[in-house]
Amino acid sequence: MRKSAALKVEPALSPVLRSNLIGQVFKEVCPEHRLLVLDMGCPSSSTVQFFNQYKCRLSFLDLISAEFLAETSQGANHQELVEYFRASLNIEPDMVADICLFWDIFNYLDGSSLSAFIEALAPHINHRSRGYCLGLLNERNQLPYCQYGIDSQTTLSQAVPLGQQPPVYPHNRRVLTQLLHYFEIDKSRLMPDGRVEYLLCENLLPRPVKPAIF
Amino acid sequence: MIGENVKIEGNIISEENLFIEGAVKGSITAKKSEVKVGKSGSLTANISAKVVLIEGSVKGDICGGENVIIANTGNVLGNIDSPRVSLEDGAKFKGSITMDPGEKTVTDLPVSSASKINPHRAGNDPGVKVS
Repeated sequence: MRKSAALKVEPALSPVLRSNLIGQVFKEVCPEHRLLVLDMGCPSSSTVQFFNQYKCRLSFLDLISAEFLAETSQGANHQELVEYFRASLNIEPDMVADICLFWDIFNYLDGSSLSAFIEALAPHINHRSRGYCLGLLNERNQLPYCQYGIDSQTTLSQAVPLGQQPPVYPHNRRVLTQLLHYFEIDKSRLMPDGRVEYLLCENLLPRPVKPAIF
Repeated sequence: MIGENVKIEGNIISEENLFIEGAVKGSITAKKSEVKVGKSGSLTANISAKVVLIEGSVKGDICGGENVIIANTGNVLGNIDSPRVSLEDGAKFKGSITMDPGEKTVTDLPVSSASKINPHRAGNDPGVKVS
């Protein structure tokens, strides 16, 4: 269900957000290997600073920008959307992501776009890949318009970006579980303002792909 | 210094520090020196230098021997390869950053079965790219 972006004035956000799960995306990483980290958001100084201590390749995909999201809502069919997301990932076909920082992108994609995105990402995920995302406990909660970064293994940075918040499509946990296909929600933690953080890992018994009907 | 009203097309190889305020199309190599692209600098070029500081606009890959810094006025479209990278708040960047801090690499991660070499990951180490 589409929910319009809020027009009401939100209280100022704290620049730092405590996280119980972000540190757990590093649980399976091996320091000797070069990490491949996919950040679906825009570049954050804190994330770059944080990963300076790792041997890694950090890719910023900037998929949460209003311009990009507008392109996904142009009436394209499923395969066209998959190709569009695949091109936007901009990573070599044989590369597997160790960490996917989805932030709150799932809330800005309707069911069709989210299914296509997950399908496009599939070749770059294996059983060691971990994902991190933010959702809402329920549709009554307001999704703050934020861009996120990693500040430490227990805190995130958050800042309000310029421009207007794109339309929000909140997915409850049950729907999200269906749409994420080969990912499963390993852990979730409620945050104080109704946001929920999710730790994702590969579902070793993936459900068959079901095209979204909404 | 390459001034604001200077346009260069070609490959620049320098043994000295470079300060670019103009436009460059091609490549810049200053392995032992620093390259600074000022606020009015506009490059469609790969840069390879010991230290790179970007305050202007760069379309191309950047290889830093020691450090790459993108200032808050900087706008980079390309990939960066350097032991250390700094991005100031407000900087625009689209691409990948390959970092390798060497001995400072985090070693206190939880020990797991991931320590075993996974052949499927072999393609994840692109090695050092030199533009």
